[in-house]
Amino acid sequence: MSIKNFTKRATGALLAAGLLSGVAQASDKKDLVLGGSIPLTGVFAFAGVGLHAGIQDSVKVINESGGIEGHKLVYIPEDTAYKVDASVAAFNKITSQHDVNFYYGDSTAFEKTISPEVDRSGKMVLTGASFASELNDPVKYPNVFIGGPSYTDMIGILMEHIVKEKPGAKVVLVHSDTEFGRDPVEGAKETATKLGLNLDLVISTAPGGVDVSTEVLKIRRARPDYVIFHGYVLAPIPEFITQARSMGLKTKFMGTFWSSDNSMVQKMGDAADGFMGVMPYSYYYDESENAPMLEKIRSMRDTYQSNAYMQGFFNTMMMAEGARNAIKAGKELNGANIKAGMRAIKDFDTGGIVGIPVTVKGNSVPVGRVYSFDASKKKMLPASDWIRLD
Amino acid sequence: MRIGTVKENYIADAALFDTSVQKGWLVALLAGLVLLPFFAGQYASYLACLVLINIASTTGLNILTGFTGLVSLGQAAFMGVGAYTVAWLEMKAGTPFLLNLIIGGFAASFIGIIVGLPSLRVKGLYLAIATIAASVILHFVFANWTAVTGGVSGVTMPAASLFGYELVEPKQVYWIIMPVTVLMVFGAANIFRTRIGRAFIAIRDRDISAEVLGIRLLRYKLLSFALSSFYAGVAGGLWAYFFRVITPESFPLMMSIFFLAAVIVGGMGSILGGILGAIFMTMVPEVLKMMVGVLTPFWSDAIAVMSPVRIIVFGALIIFFLIFEPDGLAEIWRNIRRYFHLWPFKT
Amino acid sequence: MDWLFFSEIGLAGLGSGGLYALTGLALVLIYKATRVVNMAIGELLMLGAYVFMGFSAITVLPLWVSIILAIILTGVCGGIIERTIIRPMLGESAISIFMVTIGLGSVLVGVVEIIWGAQPQRLVEFIPKDPIFIGEAYLSSKIGYAFLVAAIVLGTFLIIFRTWRGGIALRATAGDQGAAYSMGINVPKVFSSVWVIASMIAAGAGILVGSIGGISPNMGVYGLSVLVVVIVGGLDSLLGALVAGLLVGLIETYAGAYLGGEFKLLATFSLLVLVLVVRPYGLFGTHEIERL
Repeated sequence: MSIKNFTKRATGALLAAGLLSGVAQASDKKDLVLGGSIPLTGVFAFAGVGLHAGIQDSVKVINESGGIEGHKLVYIPEDTAYKVDASVAAFNKITSQHDVNFYYGDSTAFEKTISPEVDRSGKMVLTGASFASELNDPVKYPNVFIGGPSYTDMIGILMEHIVKEKPGAKVVLVHSDTEFGRDPVEGAKETATKLGLNLDLVISTAPGGVDVSTEVLKIRRARPDYVIFHGYVLAPIPEFITQARSMGLKTKFMGTFWSSDNSMVQKMGDAADGFMGVMPYSYYYDESENAPMLEKIRSMRDTYQSNAYMQGFFNTMMMAEGARNAIKAGKELNGANIKAGMRAIKDFDTGGIVGIPVTVKGNSVPVGRVYSFDASKKKMLPASDWIRLD
Repeated sequence: MRIGTVKENYIADAALFDTSVQKGWLVALLAGLVLLPFFAGQYASYLACLVLINIASTTGLNILTGFTGLVSLGQAAFMGVGAYTVAWLEMKAGTPFLLNLIIGGFAASFIGIIVGLPSLRVKGLYLAIATIAASVILHFVFANWTAVTGGVSGVTMPAASLFGYELVEPKQVYWIIMPVTVLMVFGAANIFRTRIGRAFIAIRDRDISAEVLGIRLLRYKLLSFALSSFYAGVAGGLWAYFFRVITPESFPLMMSIFFLAAVIVGGMGSILGGILGAIFMTMVPEVLKMMVGVLTPFWSDAIAVMSPVRIIVFGALIIFFLIFEPDGLAEIWRNIRRYFHLWPFKT
Repeated sequence: MDWLFFSEIGLAGLGSGGLYALTGLALVLIYKATRVVNMAIGELLMLGAYVFMGFSAITVLPLWVSIILAIILTGVCGGIIERTIIRPMLGESAISIFMVTIGLGSVLVGVVEIIWGAQPQRLVEFIPKDPIFIGEAYLSSKIGYAFLVAAIVLGTFLIIFRTWRGGIALRATAGDQGAAYSMGINVPKVFSSVWVIASMIAAGAGILVGSIGGISPNMGVYGLSVLVVVIVGGLDSLLGALVAGLLVGLIETYAGAYLGGEFKLLATFSLLVLVLVVRPYGLFGTHEIERL
């Protein structure tokens, strides 16, 4: 979607949200507030725009079907340009002006740093764009929710797929030197040992790094069967793949959630063929049967929506469901109770966003599916069945 | 109209505030600062705290760059040193926050002296570039000395506590930030009544002549670095207590440029300039946000351009002030004051 | 010790060093003529890459035309910048002009973000993809061709400066504006031309750098490393830019390969500190004598 299109809708939504929060005074049930530090501009804008749209649509669907047990859900976002300080400032601003029940963060760094504050206030649950394994700890981060498998679990799913194709294969992990990128490295090493894969070489690239040829040379030395990328959206993956192919390497390339969006993979050009990714959600164009929510999304938005959209939509659905459970159990709506309500979610039908019924385990939803890019159809198509990591 | 002021002795001549009108305004300002948290909302208190922290840091940079003429692009890195020190002390040693701030200031001071050591060998532009190097190296240390700084994840620290009462919300942390900043600004103003301050100004104007006059260059230049870094360290500590979350990305090179811009826009070499510059540069993004809110019903693209427009406005302000008003906001303010002092006469 | 790996890294380092030297050339030209250290050189580089992306999107234009148009347009921008922003600052202290160029850099970043968005993007591929093998050592084709272009441009400039009258005019203008005027040198024209040419070189370097690693509004940090290059080589020495560029390229690449990606900037800036302490005016720079 072009910036102009998006911003028209964003502004409309923001205005609507503003008006709604005024109108809401009329009803007798208190509004529930979903605040968001959303990276609408900046380096992660592609994701931020998608998240924003997904949350908006999910909120709309929820409100149209009677809200959360009669309470209207209101979405209050602020742009952060993917900077932690701006995210924290936005959090401070929104929580000082509203009584927030759910908060959507924009990065691993932000969610980690704001979590103690969220715990201290005890009023809300925190979710966000991050699938960080560190956040997947219910003891250390009791109010955090991850709408999918953690990054370590994602790499685990990819590795299980590798074992099926080629047991004992040689794998290289290439990650960016950021909090996002470093998160699953230790976990990946453990998983590799457990599955009997060779993960000797882990390459870290400087964020915003221009030249990756030295790293490609390291890959050439290692001659791996598979390379897993983590911590990138697009660059420098195509550069790696093109150079490796031109060196004659027969390596297969895979990426985690944020590298698996269809529009991003398409941008890789020729390098995209055979690129594999892992996602806990279906793609926008998924044609499987019995997916009423996917069809609803397609009726609301007629252009391709990214996996960020799916995440925003899904997380909002889950948080609403958790709140619903808490209200039905007669509990007060605070962070601990909403989170308990979310943990009680078992075999929940998402209407096709996730292909199998969803159960929350700890802080995350450990299901996923491996997809592979088909160059002839220019789409990421399923390469495995839905895998549950219980 | 102010006709003239008669000074009867040197002490009166060197006073910071000479007329009773000035003293009156000062009392009003202090009263306003004290009463602010009781009348302002949460977000306004938040902004006030941010402005005060920036004022503290800008005043420090002003001492180094505005008064001593040593351009430094390392202010944010020194703040980072102070912030990490305070965080480490608060978490590991549990010492009272005032002590932490002072130790944080001294830690930054120590690093500042090391960074300032080349200042006898290199001057001007080269020194500025050396401070950029220091900034990059310190950033590397922040990101990789995981034992102390938590590496790329950074540190999250508990709030400051005063007699067991935790200071968490902006309205509460304000009571640490405001007194410390006011004290530091007064301290800075006072420095320039003493020999040390005059030595700094002499170095700025012509350092070779200053040396001829008997001012030991290396000692005073290092003192200037130490002092300015102390301010930065304390400001960084205040920042730590305010945000309670410190990552290596919290103190990027861009922030050093922000402070240098605040010094330039406010007016180099004047304490009031440092204050005005900090307030101005901190409030500009807020004003932009408000403008976006106002424009959005008419121009739907407004929200998407706010972030880049802020960057452009930042750069444009620096360029504009350097070309048209090199003495900054302080000079504009002085012109306004002079107009009212001399009215109905023309300047 | 894997000598093949060592030599491959060395080749990659020389290649990226060539690009550093090219951008350093632009910085040195500006300093040689106007005594201005242009901190916005990284952003001019970025502008050139983005303008090229803009032109290459017009598919009717053959790519080489897009390249030339991008270079010319950035040159024009450089000229406009000189006329409107740098000229009024003539005579101000070096620090003020330094700060103005920092402000300029910010403005350029903001403009690029508004027009093209903040996300990293990729440029159209125009460099032949076949890998280059020197003996057994692999060299990425992009880096190889970039080095070639940089070498040609640098060599041309070195020759021009020694022989052509214009080079002497440049040095004269930098040395003493009054004397240059009285010798009949059109000083304002020299200033403008230098900025235009330097921007064109930066644009060319930007297109090459962008082809290798993609473009983003953050590309300007490249300018920091180039700053190190010219300080190490000497602010007013073309040969210094060449030598120092290769040196910095090698050091950065070796640090990145053997220590880790996060050590690249650290290595570069440690070199800077070393040079500032030992030989502040750089390897080939002229020692400035301060007079009272």
